Amino acid sequence: MIRIACLHVPDADATVQSALLDIALRHSPSVEDVAPGIVFLDLRGLGKLWGGEEELARRLLQAVAERGWTARVGIAGSRAGARFAARAGEGVTIVPPGRDAGRLGVAPLALLDLGPEMAARLARWGIRTLGELADLPARGLAQRLGDEGPRLQRLARGEDPTPLRLWTPPPVFEESAECAWGIEALEPLGDLMAGLAEALCARLRRDELTADAFAWTCRLADRTVHEGFCAPAAPLADPAAAAAMLRASLAARPPRAAVEGITLRAHPLRAPKTQPRFDEPPGPSPRLLTAALARLSGLVGTSGIGAPELLDSHRPDAMQMTPFVLFPSLQRGERASNFQNQIPLPHRGRGPQFELSRDSGEASAEIDQRAVLAVRRIRPPRHVQVRLESGAPIHLRATGLAGRIVTGAGPWRVSGAWWTDDAFVQDEWDVELDDGMLCRLARDARGWRLEAIYD
Amino acid sequence: MATSIESLPPPGLDPEGLDGLLQAFPQGRLSEIVGPRSSGGSSLLLALLARAARNGVTALVDASDTLDPAVAARAGLDLRGLLWVRCGGRLPVAWRATDLLLRCPGFAAIALDVGESASAPPGMGVRLQRAVANGESMLVVRGPRHLLGSAAALVVSVRRVRARWIGAPRPLRLGGLVSEARVVRSRSDPGLTRPGRAWLLEWRT
Repeated sequence: MIRIACLHVPDADATVQSALLDIALRHSPSVEDVAPGIVFLDLRGLGKLWGGEEELARRLLQAVAERGWTARVGIAGSRAGARFAARAGEGVTIVPPGRDAGRLGVAPLALLDLGPEMAARLARWGIRTLGELADLPARGLAQRLGDEGPRLQRLARGEDPTPLRLWTPPPVFEESAECAWGIEALEPLGDLMAGLAEALCARLRRDELTADAFAWTCRLADRTVHEGFCAPAAPLADPAAAAAMLRASLAARPPRAAVEGITLRAHPLRAPKTQPRFDEPPGPSPRLLTAALARLSGLVGTSGIGAPELLDSHRPDAMQMTPFVLFPSLQRGERASNFQNQIPLPHRGRGPQFELSRDSGEASAEIDQRAVLAVRRIRPPRHVQVRLESGAPIHLRATGLAGRIVTGAGPWRVSGAWWTDDAFVQDEWDVELDDGMLCRLARDARGWRLEAIYD
Repeated sequence: MATSIESLPPPGLDPEGLDGLLQAFPQGRLSEIVGPRSSGGSSLLLALLARAARNGVTALVDASDTLDPAVAARAGLDLRGLLWVRCGGRLPVAWRATDLLLRCPGFAAIALDVGESASAPPGMGVRLQRAVANGESMLVVRGPRHLLGSAAALVVSVRRVRARWIGAPRPLRLGGLVSEARVVRSRSDPGLTRPGRAWLLEWRT
């Protein structure tokens, strides 16, 4: 005999749903994730374990209440019956076996999750409740709606033999190690991290997954925690590349005390096995690129390597560095930062649902290659001494640079962000020195600066 | 067959323009763009990277941290596909970073901008040339003067011709720069180096 429980929390979001699934899985091995705030549990064979349906429903309500939410539980012989019972009543509503049809008679059609076409069609016939649908002649319904008609009618009568679409918790890719005496030196710590990475990558490969981000947490001897995060240029499951990247990240930001315990987590990603197309440009091997980037970050620091990104601002030199990724369409950075901030739960989310697509759908737009005069930015801008005549600069002097200004244009005022504490305002000049050098000067309250050289 | 004089380009002007010059940069070889500041060398490097970016990802090792991403984007460079290595004025680090990147095949082009420094470690040219040889990558070094000796398969010298100012009689703004590029050495096409052959390039702001 089929018995279904519906655990319902009105106005729930994804966080609540994750907790609901966690709670449901602790009470029944068969759980279906229906929609935000709605979870089905299969109660077959659980009566003796929990002491009856009523007791099980009470425990479900209590578990949800401990998280601070108010839930309703409906138990019936079908999904529609359980869902209607959970929606209609407060607390626990149990429909006795075989009484689903009678209880469902007044339930609205929307309970069946009909498609828009079917809902409109039944509405045209004047059918608004499940009871009205159940009372229609079966033969005529089949002639007009095909197989779908009798199926919907059976559901309206509380006959629902299809099993639950089982929800399984996503695998957690996490490895930990304890160091009883504490590790202070970077090299053995890197070895330990490499061992964890190897175990993680083996698990990822076993599930045909890759990882697009790694995060670690070190428990330090001074009772503090050291956390780190790194993302490869392309998703990988290669232990050597992952280890090289993690070693470089550790070297760039080492823990400030001896490490007593370490946990490494990987963010899984399912990458489709697609053969590269003939018309797409070849790129670096993800494994080699990740290793190269790891070594480069050791040379120039993690902040000195990446892809530039322009900021939506008129401030001079408004840009930032973003992690370099081989597949920009993936927008891995956003996801990786989410992963960085999340606290791993045993049953969080719905498993590795991200799909990496090599075919982003973006047409290879023809690049508008124009002969643009390059600007070499001076970072930070160099202070210069400028002599003026009639308000216009006529001579420039700075360290390793001096000359008479033969031509100039300006000033052009650049300003913005006046509504914030970080306002900027400066006057800019383009000048040509007598030796032919073209440069951009800027003047603000702090004086004159050499901002850039045209080249 | 005789060619009529009228069909020949005027002296100093190459009919293929910028594209013709960019095509001369060989893949799997080391090339150099040399010229003082404000000569148009960096503009040529940006145009080269933008062209190479059609064939894959590119990398720029920036010794003195001078790239302006906004200008690079205007030059047609897809910033998402550009690996920018900022060395913060440390030239030895820049040479090592370039050497390291060359060990990772698959880049369409790798460029090294040495800034205003004019020195290379002994043997670095040969080392880089061997690393890039027979690969699909193009290696270009931009510097104020020829640094890598005989290891460079192509050397393009750039000089400033004139600045273009807009507005008369008083200039209102800088309109661009006209520069002249000459191939000083080309192992693959020695004809590029013949006397009198030059590319007049006009860069616009």
